[in-house]
Amino acid sequence: MLKESNSGKKRVIMAKPGLDGHWRAAMIISTALRNAGMEVIYMGNQTPAAIVECAMQEDVDAVGLSILAASHMKLIKAVVDLLKEKNMSDIPVVVGGTIPRHDIPELYDMGVKAVFPPGSKIEKIVDFFMENV
Amino acid sequence: MSNHGENIITSDSGIPLKTVYTKDDVQDINVEKEIGYPGREPFLRGIHENMYRGKLWTIRQFTGYNTPEETNERFRYEHKNGSTGFSIAFDAPTENGLDADDLNVADDVGMGGVSCCTLRDMEVMFEGLPIDKVSTAVIASPFSACALSAMYFVLAEKRGIDIKKLMGTTQNDLLLFTACCHLPAIIPPRHLIRLCVDLVEWCAQNTPKWHPVSIASYNYRENGLNAWQEVGLLFANAIAYIEEELKRNRLKVDEFVPTMSFHMASHSDFFEEVAKFRAARRIWCKLLKERYKAEDPKSLMLRFHVQTSGSTLTYQQPLNNLIRVAYQVLAAALGGVQSLHANSYDEGICLPTEQGILLSLRTQQIAQLETGITRVSDPLGGSYYLEHLTNEIEKRIWDYMKKLEDKGGLISCLESGWIHQESFQAMNKYQNQIKTGERKVVGVNCFELEEEPYQVPYFRPDPGTAQRQKEKLENIRNTRDNQKVAKTLLDLKNATINGENVMPAVISAVKEYATLGEICDVWREIYGIWEIPVGTSWS
Repeated sequence: MLKESNSGKKRVIMAKPGLDGHWRAAMIISTALRNAGMEVIYMGNQTPAAIVECAMQEDVDAVGLSILAASHMKLIKAVVDLLKEKNMSDIPVVVGGTIPRHDIPELYDMGVKAVFPPGSKIEKIVDFFMENV
Repeated sequence: MSNHGENIITSDSGIPLKTVYTKDDVQDINVEKEIGYPGREPFLRGIHENMYRGKLWTIRQFTGYNTPEETNERFRYEHKNGSTGFSIAFDAPTENGLDADDLNVADDVGMGGVSCCTLRDMEVMFEGLPIDKVSTAVIASPFSACALSAMYFVLAEKRGIDIKKLMGTTQNDLLLFTACCHLPAIIPPRHLIRLCVDLVEWCAQNTPKWHPVSIASYNYRENGLNAWQEVGLLFANAIAYIEEELKRNRLKVDEFVPTMSFHMASHSDFFEEVAKFRAARRIWCKLLKERYKAEDPKSLMLRFHVQTSGSTLTYQQPLNNLIRVAYQVLAAALGGVQSLHANSYDEGICLPTEQGILLSLRTQQIAQLETGITRVSDPLGGSYYLEHLTNEIEKRIWDYMKKLEDKGGLISCLESGWIHQESFQAMNKYQNQIKTGERKVVGVNCFELEEEPYQVPYFRPDPGTAQRQKEKLENIRNTRDNQKVAKTLLDLKNATINGENVMPAVISAVKEYATLGEICDVWREIYGIWEIPVGTSWS
């Protein structure tokens, strides 16, 4: 069931695909985005399928994914591929977490819109969402 | 923690600091009673008189990735290069009590830790390693702790080791995996603590040299809390375990408390961390003596492991992390630690590479063998600053413990989401301090470089691990006696429902090669899955 976003706010999902339990970063970014006027649906740990299902149901403007357990490549690809399958590739996927530099180009090639490794400035992340979502 | 408007400089946790401390700042201290002597109450100065002259702290690196075979190789590498204890890092499915072939977990198998589903996996992991002489820390969640410990005990027995002499630790910390690192497939805390304390109770009676719990405030700290919140929660958690066991009327305080151990962080503010470790020892001694009337001196001694703080390490200019870790190792050593993990410099990027691990070992060895700090117990004791800071931190820790008790105790604060909220506020405050520059992080908000000045090797776990583990599981399910397995699982169900200690039934199941997932499913069926109070769920 589609929820109507009549508030005019950008709607973002913040999710942790798979089972990685390190939630501090996802929480901090969620707070920053909310403080910047966005509506953030914090999903916590979910399967890629559940994340995409929620993206559809909630008619979101972006999907934020956070992983800090070396499991990023397959799980992020699964989300990106599922969004493609559902014709939702226009929804930007933004990734944060412990992503080695060598993996970042591959994530961009996959279709991820931006990757923010540890130490990224919060303002830069918020600005990205404001400008690209 | 730095300049405020009124020019007050504080420690990282906000304790106001003078420019210099003198004997006037410590003149009210009753030195004999409050500071005392190492190896005697209140144990402020250390749990043994001769500290590192008697025994160096254990070099114990948290390790695990891919399959048990590959983790075994890494354990051998560490042991060859001087580690003196093992510590197993399990992957997220294992910590959740899920098997590698369970639905929706394949992409997490072997990532961030080793996959361990059966006794066979544990056997392989310790192939060729001297576990009769070297202790192992089984870093298991409160949900997987009984089964994973049982696997280790059965492995030891099969190798002819007397489990009464077996040395090691199971982490088994209730708070860690409910408030700090989320496990979306576990049972509610009020039932989890029963499993935690069953392990404590069983080990106290059967494996007296095994620490069946290592309360890990390291993780509360990593979640954003400050030094005194860290220790306040540490002891609130310990109190919950003690009270849970005492209300069963089976064991007295001195029969199980000596087996409890602890795991703290070593963070950036050098002197605050040393003060914290010392204050923690004094508080534990007072708590056990005055509140619980413990009589055995072993009940009054706080034994702890330290991990240097992962969250202080940076992705940018990663070799800087070697320096951070060295200072944090020094703080832990001057604070009287018993066992230590030095993070690898690549912590912010990936799991430790071989190069990273080697340097972690060398960091500890250089501290132990070259700096001379091990020659004297509590070498900073008597410093005006340190004794003042120790007292200040202790006050704040007691206050925080009282706050938690006034709110109904640990389980209450956990299930209501209060602890999650505290962490949430703390982590946002910390992040804000970095944003404003109040908290300096070299290479991140000062001395940043546009381009990374060097490359470092990085580690990638093997995505083929899930398939290999699945094949092993299939093989085990086909070759074991499934009728026996079914019977042991039914016995476990009955023991659980009847309020008996679950360990004997878990051990029987493990011996028949029941899987971790099958054992944990018994509990999931009885108690259901807990909904973490921050809007998360597992589907």
